[in-house]
Amino acid sequence: MSGRKLSAELFFYLGLMLVCAPFLKLHTAWLPAVFLVVWGLKWFGDFSGRNEGIGRLREKVVGFFRQRSTPLVLLLLAVAVVVPFGASTYLLDVLTSALLYAILASALNITVGFTGVLVLGFIGFYAIGAYTTGILTTKFALCGFWLALPASGVVALLFGLLLGIPTLRLKGDYLAIVTLGFGEIVKIFCNNLDALTGGPNGILGIKRPSLGFATLDSPQAFYWFCLAVLAMVVLIIARIADSRYGRAWIAVRENEMAAGALGIDVFKKHLLSFSLSAFFGGIAGALFAAKQGFISPDSFTFYESVLVLCMVVLGGIGNLAGSLVGAGLLIVLPEFLREFALYRMLIFGALMVAFMIFRPHGLVGSRTIALEAEDHADGAP
Amino acid sequence: MRKWLVLFCLCMLAVACTKKGTKEENVIKIGAAGQLTGPEAVFGADMLNGVKLAVEEWNAKGGVLGKKIELVPGDDQAEPRQAVAVANKFVTEGVAGVVGHFNSSCSIPASDVYHKAGIPQISHASTNPQLTEQGFANVFRVCGRDDQQGKVAAEFALGRLKVKKVAIIHDKTTYGQGFAEEFQKGLGSGAQVVAFEGITKGEKDYSPVVTKIKATNPDAVFFGGIYTEGGLLIKQYKAVGGTAPFIGGDGIMSEELVKIGGPATDGTYATFGPDTKEIASAKNFNEAYRKKYGEPGVYSIYAYDAANILLQSIQKAGSIEGAKVVEAIRAIDYNGALGHIQFNQKGDVKDSPYVVWKVEGGKFKQLK
Amino acid sequence: MFLQHLLNGITIGGGYALIALGYTLVYGVLKLINFAHGEIYMIGAYLGFICVSLLPALPPFFQTHTLVFVCLIFLVAAGLCSIYGFYLEKICYRPLRGAPKLTPLISALGASIFFQNLVMITMGAKDKIFPQLITQQTMTFAGVSFTWLQLTMIGLSLVLMLGLYWFINRTRLGTAIRAVSTDPFMAQLLGVNVDTVISVTFMVGSFLAACAGVMIGLYYGTINFTIGYLGGMKAFTAAVLGGIGSVTGAMAGGLLLGIIEALGAGYFSTEYKDVYAFFILIAVLIFRPAGLLGRRLHERA
Repeated sequence: MSGRKLSAELFFYLGLMLVCAPFLKLHTAWLPAVFLVVWGLKWFGDFSGRNEGIGRLREKVVGFFRQRSTPLVLLLLAVAVVVPFGASTYLLDVLTSALLYAILASALNITVGFTGVLVLGFIGFYAIGAYTTGILTTKFALCGFWLALPASGVVALLFGLLLGIPTLRLKGDYLAIVTLGFGEIVKIFCNNLDALTGGPNGILGIKRPSLGFATLDSPQAFYWFCLAVLAMVVLIIARIADSRYGRAWIAVRENEMAAGALGIDVFKKHLLSFSLSAFFGGIAGALFAAKQGFISPDSFTFYESVLVLCMVVLGGIGNLAGSLVGAGLLIVLPEFLREFALYRMLIFGALMVAFMIFRPHGLVGSRTIALEAEDHADGAP
Repeated sequence: MRKWLVLFCLCMLAVACTKKGTKEENVIKIGAAGQLTGPEAVFGADMLNGVKLAVEEWNAKGGVLGKKIELVPGDDQAEPRQAVAVANKFVTEGVAGVVGHFNSSCSIPASDVYHKAGIPQISHASTNPQLTEQGFANVFRVCGRDDQQGKVAAEFALGRLKVKKVAIIHDKTTYGQGFAEEFQKGLGSGAQVVAFEGITKGEKDYSPVVTKIKATNPDAVFFGGIYTEGGLLIKQYKAVGGTAPFIGGDGIMSEELVKIGGPATDGTYATFGPDTKEIASAKNFNEAYRKKYGEPGVYSIYAYDAANILLQSIQKAGSIEGAKVVEAIRAIDYNGALGHIQFNQKGDVKDSPYVVWKVEGGKFKQLK
Repeated sequence: MFLQHLLNGITIGGGYALIALGYTLVYGVLKLINFAHGEIYMIGAYLGFICVSLLPALPPFFQTHTLVFVCLIFLVAAGLCSIYGFYLEKICYRPLRGAPKLTPLISALGASIFFQNLVMITMGAKDKIFPQLITQQTMTFAGVSFTWLQLTMIGLSLVLMLGLYWFINRTRLGTAIRAVSTDPFMAQLLGVNVDTVISVTFMVGSFLAACAGVMIGLYYGTINFTIGYLGGMKAFTAAVLGGIGSVTGAMAGGLLLGIIEALGAGYFSTEYKDVYAFFILIAVLIFRPAGLLGRRLHERA
């Protein structure tokens, strides 16, 4: 190990000690758990870096799952369906949240992962969806949830077009700040258009949908409903990603100029992916409104956008399964850390950094992205 | 070396796990929810300390129904989604009742969860009228309501200050804007509202809005919001040459306001409950709190009383069954640190006396 | 009225510009948005606060010569903060060179959450209040009210910006920074130590951000651990408005953003203050995709 690497590692552990120092009084027993996780990650990073074999093994494992993906998916689905039996309300609430965020992360993955457009204000579409449902079902009593659900998606899609048409020609980081601005603008408008959105008071009394014979009032029923929607969304995205459109998206992400030369209308592809992800974001928002029964601008902060983006990156950019894993982890992990109360967010931040250093391609990873990264490593950024 | 360390860690983990497994179940749990982390974490700490004090006192007397009381803190980060998660966690852990939440925007969605589970909720600081207007039998609050407070502030502005033109600023939160609107309602046609402006919470520079307000030449400026913004607004308003006095609510009732705003805050008015230092009943609380946690925050005493009401009701009901405890709270005739408390049909305090305070020489003093 | 709003805008705009410079410098050399930069500014403000509260313990010389003391606060806080910047890069970004583009961004967000909570836990969640070192007496000239402190603040930000301009254009290190931001590969071939240059860039950016933090603390009187988010976001907007990667652009963008906000809030509604800034940003980007003063970047798709 070279001197530089040693010192970098030393600083990392110093930083870690700093994080853990305050626990020494209260949660001494938890301290080793944090160390173990970090060590495990680090060991895995080092080991897979040094050892060709582990890379091949990983390929093999991924290949194994890919070949037998159908039974595996069915198995997972079965587990997800069975979980609510015997689960507490609290667990169900957390799991339903995780499902909603999984929809969001999959939707964001379309733009960030497939077409390579960084969106920093994605929560704006989520907010639009939630407010559309809230306004349609309570203020005007125009329609029930079943009409509001697709309507939320469509309204979000329209806003996606509205934002996308003028701005999607911009390049990477500029587009990122524009979308960040969009998220803030949506929040500010929600907070100020009192007559429509209830201002800071938000909208109260959004009813859960009914299925004709039974309302989805129990946490179990609503969980299953969200699960069904998630399955549908994932299925649609997976099919599109595998179609000609999806391949064109990847082409656009890898090299816009070459894609253009091949006759792909780059702008149109960007717009399609952008509005599609806005649509699914809106759907997730509608579900959120129905789940909470109450929405207010406080739920749609920049921090939420960051959270969703983290899910996508944590799972592996451009990898649909990764987004689901990321959403599960980032919603469930903080609940475990609730024990720490005060130190929860501190650890969360440190873990984010550690993860990026030791597993930069995300948990699941995506091969196409990995190739691109190698390109970057060779030459100029 | 490293191997041994790993082994050591594993052992410690095992110990930690076993310790958790043998936890005794012979306790009564009560929840305390508020923002324990995040920008307003100080309010959460004030609340938690107040509840802690009450629980410790009860435990020293031998607990409730012969069982010790365990306090379960819940951090809602002032965010509705987290508030619902905390509420569900409380329900799952089987708490007998909840003190909190702080923000109305958290209390309202959480109250839905408590209502479905039939657990009593006593908020110590959510003043938005909507909370108790939902018709939930299990929701109470020991603080006042914004509509009562707005009315008192408006009557004071019209009657004592004889204002003709008022500028209104609020911080675009459920509390701030709601309070500002109630104040405006209270003014009626008695005074002209020359400006109604919202500001962004957490910023430091409010010079554009105070410049604008100054140009309208008001007799008084009303501010619905918290002291952190209030202090800056007052200071910057005086710095651009404004002279009208500020009127605020319970949110600006803090010594911090004076520290932030400096001498410019002299002559600022605020509506709040009566001086707890003058209430004889609060003396014990103030002393005990100071000894343990330092100077109490304005809402510490409310949290303390809320916890006491909850525990006393459990004692009276003779069980921790939600419906029985709710019944007991409804019927309670409580004499605590804040004085006499009884609840009306909605779950609000029957007589909530708001009075007006004024900053004089860097201290809040109750106007006679 | 108009002049008053303009002065208000320039005062806060100077602060934005100083923070924006950090974003733009780092973006220049690394093509990376340093999302933790806002937190560096916040830490700078806190370091300043710690220095100020040390005053009673210092020799009486400092208590009588406030100006010397204030200068010292700036130097100490900014110096310490550049160390923070150095290690931020070393721990959070250096191991990630060559990783996919979004990875350092997430790491930055993680660092930002970490710093915020670290400061909250160690310093408390309450607002910290600066003691009044310099008396603020309001003066009026041609209908415009201002304080000496306000003028000093504007002056100081101008001096710092000029200093940076000189550093970038006239010194060896500055030339190296420009070389790396133009073509890092070529600069390396020509013997520029790219790692050192990147570290220096982070340190310079942090230095300026810390100055802005202390300045804001002294002028407005209160700081808390969330100022990094709002300040960082505004400054980032300013940097893009002026053209990210361009030093003069960041300065112009910061001032412009301050003025837009002040005028927008003053003549229209205060509620939508943040919306004006973003609308103008979107409009500028549509017509001048590289920002107002930015070079057309030959960024790879």
